[in-house]
Amino acid sequence: MNSDMFRMILFDGLLAAIAAIGFAVISNPSRKSVFVSALLAAIGHATRFFLIKSGMEISLATFVAASCIGLMSVLFAKLIHCPAEVFSFPSLLPMIPGLFAYRTILGLIKFMQNSDVVKSQQYMLDIFHNGLTTLFILLALVIGVSLPVLLFPKYSFRVTRRY
Amino acid sequence: MFIPERNIEKLRQYFQKQLPKLQNISSMESNLEYKIPTIEQISDLLTDIASSLMTSGAHTMRIIQNVSRMAKTFGYDIDLSVFQLSIMMSITNKENPSNRMTIIKKTKPLLLNFTCVSDISALSWDTYDKNLPYDEVRRKFEEIISQKRMSRWLVLILVGFANAAFCGLFKGDLYAISLVFIGTLAGFYVRQEMIIKKINHLVVFTTSAFVASLISGIGYVLPLGNTPEVALAASVLYLIPGVPLINSVLDIIEGHILTGIARLVNASSLIVCIAIGLFASMLILGLTKL
Repeated sequence: MNSDMFRMILFDGLLAAIAAIGFAVISNPSRKSVFVSALLAAIGHATRFFLIKSGMEISLATFVAASCIGLMSVLFAKLIHCPAEVFSFPSLLPMIPGLFAYRTILGLIKFMQNSDVVKSQQYMLDIFHNGLTTLFILLALVIGVSLPVLLFPKYSFRVTRRY
Repeated sequence: MFIPERNIEKLRQYFQKQLPKLQNISSMESNLEYKIPTIEQISDLLTDIASSLMTSGAHTMRIIQNVSRMAKTFGYDIDLSVFQLSIMMSITNKENPSNRMTIIKKTKPLLLNFTCVSDISALSWDTYDKNLPYDEVRRKFEEIISQKRMSRWLVLILVGFANAAFCGLFKGDLYAISLVFIGTLAGFYVRQEMIIKKINHLVVFTTSAFVASLISGIGYVLPLGNTPEVALAASVLYLIPGVPLINSVLDIIEGHILTGIARLVNASSLIVCIAIGLFASMLILGLTKL
């Protein structure tokens, strides 16, 4: 890995951290968990960026990144006595496939307005491609982040216990 | 056993002094018995907690876990169904199973509050471990839900920066980033104002998306920078209902399929509204591609 690539990954992580802070404060978390979610978002998004750059498909890369976030969030949850999803959800938000979702809806609108058969076929392809990408990225995000809950349910629900 | 005369006298005096205190204690005991919470009070508290967890954006499994943990401490068994607009709970006394009731409670519209989720979760473990009495749990719960939210202006600025950073993630240039920053500030301000005025949330999302994308799309009209399309695409991403989407899939995975699908439909309708707002401003700006 050359230094240029490394710098790009760092930059990506930094931007993702800023984005995670902004999207986290909408849901009014405590101050500690905002910083944790920024850290997790940076690590997760940089991981995904690296995997996509090295040729992995986007939903699979998202799954790996989300499971990183999920496992680390349980550790942090134990440290600051706070349910894991309070900071794992905001750190996933930069990876939510919003753009693909909008493209799906816009494709639907265009498909409805259009009467040309050849163009309609193209729009149909777009709708399916974008819609399925949205769906699979979303599934990958959630399954990845809830891996610890699915693997060790007892442990994950006890993190806010102090005694 | 021999007790000297004066000692007996002392003892008598001592008991006469203590007698009123003893009477006090017995009256306090009867007070305590009077204060054992009734099943109505317990069920009100538990449904209040469940409904505020639902409002704050907890997933169904956590709501059920927290509430049943507290019910166990108070000596009750509960069965809980959580729906989008209401919560249904059956509560049974463990010692006297004929003492039971079923209660349905409306939930308020979604207003994410993760401080509330984590504090109530901690409170439920505290209740379980320290056997907290009903009154104290009630008091602590009222404290938690009356906490102040973060200042709206700070949130506004941070969301602006977040969406600008998002534009950077999609490789937008500096013009695009600053346009998105301004657009997001305007759009989010409109959203805050409309939420305060209690306007229908679908209308809120459409208008907010329209304002944000109209301002960010100006880069197309007066050519600014090389990536105006990135600015337009990123301008509405701050509105994505991410937490409801994640919650819905989590609910479906954990088997609460009805609630999960309700949340999914809710989130998708919001996304459709955002897309309509985006589409409207694209029509005004005369664009056809995103």
